[in-house]
Amino acid sequence: MSGQSKERFMKPFIIGASLLFFIGVAATVVLPFYDEVMQRENANAAIKNYSIDSPEYRGRQVYIREGCHTCHTQFVRPVKADSSLGPVSVPEDYYHDYPHLLGSVRTGSDLTWVGTRWNEQWHRVHLNNPRQVFPGSTMPSYNYLSDQDTEDLIAYLMSLKPAPSTEGR
Amino acid sequence: MTTLTQDENKAVRLFFYSSIVWLLVGMSIGLILAIKYVWPNFLVWGEFLQKYLSYGRIRPAHTHVVLLGWMSMAYVGGLLYIIPRLTRKSLEHPRLARIIGILWNVYIVLAVIILSMGYTTTIEYAETPWPLDLFLIVLVVGTAYICFKTIAKRNEHQLYVSLWYFMGSLIWLPFLYIIGNLATYFISGVPQALAGWFYGHNVIGLWFTTVGVGFIYYLLPLLSKNPLYSHKLSLIGFWTIATFYVWNGPHHLQNGPIPAWLMKAGVVPSVLLIIPVWTVLANVFGTMKGKWHVISENVSLKFVVTGAIFYLITCLQGPFQSLMQPSAILKFTNWIIGHAHMPLFAAFSFVLFALFYHALPTLTGRKIYSEALMNWHFWLSIIGFLIFAFTTWTAGVMQGFAWTEGKQYGVPFLEVVVSLQPFSIARAVGGLLMFTGQIVFAYNVRKSITEGQPLSVEEKSSSTA
Repeated sequence: MSGQSKERFMKPFIIGASLLFFIGVAATVVLPFYDEVMQRENANAAIKNYSIDSPEYRGRQVYIREGCHTCHTQFVRPVKADSSLGPVSVPEDYYHDYPHLLGSVRTGSDLTWVGTRWNEQWHRVHLNNPRQVFPGSTMPSYNYLSDQDTEDLIAYLMSLKPAPSTEGR
Repeated sequence: MTTLTQDENKAVRLFFYSSIVWLLVGMSIGLILAIKYVWPNFLVWGEFLQKYLSYGRIRPAHTHVVLLGWMSMAYVGGLLYIIPRLTRKSLEHPRLARIIGILWNVYIVLAVIILSMGYTTTIEYAETPWPLDLFLIVLVVGTAYICFKTIAKRNEHQLYVSLWYFMGSLIWLPFLYIIGNLATYFISGVPQALAGWFYGHNVIGLWFTTVGVGFIYYLLPLLSKNPLYSHKLSLIGFWTIATFYVWNGPHHLQNGPIPAWLMKAGVVPSVLLIIPVWTVLANVFGTMKGKWHVISENVSLKFVVTGAIFYLITCLQGPFQSLMQPSAILKFTNWIIGHAHMPLFAAFSFVLFALFYHALPTLTGRKIYSEALMNWHFWLSIIGFLIFAFTTWTAGVMQGFAWTEGKQYGVPFLEVVVSLQPFSIARAVGGLLMFTGQIVFAYNVRKSITEGQPLSVEEKSSSTA
């Protein structure tokens, strides 16, 4: 095709492509892992270190199973669009989040500190039929969840609040 | 060597035809999502459908089917077809390639079922659990093995630029897939998010973009019947994309809970990506010299040049929205959805359509059944996409600014949701047009296989590289 092409060997491409790739991995995945803010918990993380037999832990599994993270985020940025949501998120907050639920789109509102906003009864009504609380809402109805799943999910949502020791932050 | 062996032909066609099925399935799920976005009780007919087709469960099924079903299988078919042509060497292990194709289809079916049942890792585009991931890694490594072996045993010793891109991509894909799908099991919190977004962005940049650019470099000289404009530019393009693209993961957490040095490290290379995208476009414009009029006569050329232009627009929009201030407004809004569909549908799916229309006559020995339907495919796709993109971008700007005015949760947030409605309906209409275009495509391909006019002997020998 092109008569000027001089590339006759595969090796430079294989070595070059691999090297450049792993430099990027080191810089954007490995190095941040060793940053001190990624290696420690804070008070907010400690209260989200749910034990495996707790309602909050089970509720988090329900949240994951139903894909809540595909419409709701869980991080507050230091920007105007997040100014009323609560304390700005820091890496330490997520130390025990496994898997993380940071999210990538706000079809629904951010839930980082949702535990400070509504009470259990509000959640019961809202999960059963979101439009009863917010006419025009496009959130699916979760009335098919078992009572156990519903109560566990609510326990999880109510736990999403700043640690008492951080009051005033 | 210009003719395919029977086994090569079967392998390529298996991947191509399977990918078309996944295109239709994946876009159907997308359409369901778009309708549920405005009408949340759509398909909520009985508890079974309510649960297994719920938005939160089928969203990852949509992305899986279009990314790993439609695009990746079409990509592998393209690699298996083009590499023998560029190397003048018949495909190594073509029967193994066919088995990989069959198993790849099995993977997609299993993925859709598992995701619909609510099993998910929550890592975007890596939601499938690890046993399925291992399965796919074996298939990808098998594909890479076949391709590298064919290139290693080549009869044409000079490596054309497309082959550099193919080799790079076949190394990058398995590693980035392992980082996003397997490494993420061993870490938690923000490090896990960073590993996940390393994968989420680089599967686009170091697989979908780089193989797609390789396809552009293959198709353009062939369809325009001009030599490639600049070999030097293509060298610069390859090495700059290989250097800069891999750093882009962090911009998905822009303004988020990551160190400031990492935020900047994600933006600077992102802006520098303008260099490789410019080399591709300069080569497109240079190679097309004197042949622009052919676009109106040749639908393949129409698709590939349009695709290249959308690739340029994506690579101008992307760096822009990764800057901290634009990101502060646009992040989490519909704008991002509009952006995400541009490289995948408008850029590289268009390049794939060009490849299919170009290669299918060689593979089937028959001309495409209807040129009119090819044009319908083009116009429905591009008009549908433009509606989809502009409604989501506008809605996104609206959401972003409304949120800065404090409408961040509760009743004020719902005000914004309700005001999105006309845009969301229009976006579904755009998606419907896009989908209809693909039904036309699939129908035309089906008719070509059974009723397309057989190629004459001269046409057969001139239609290959």
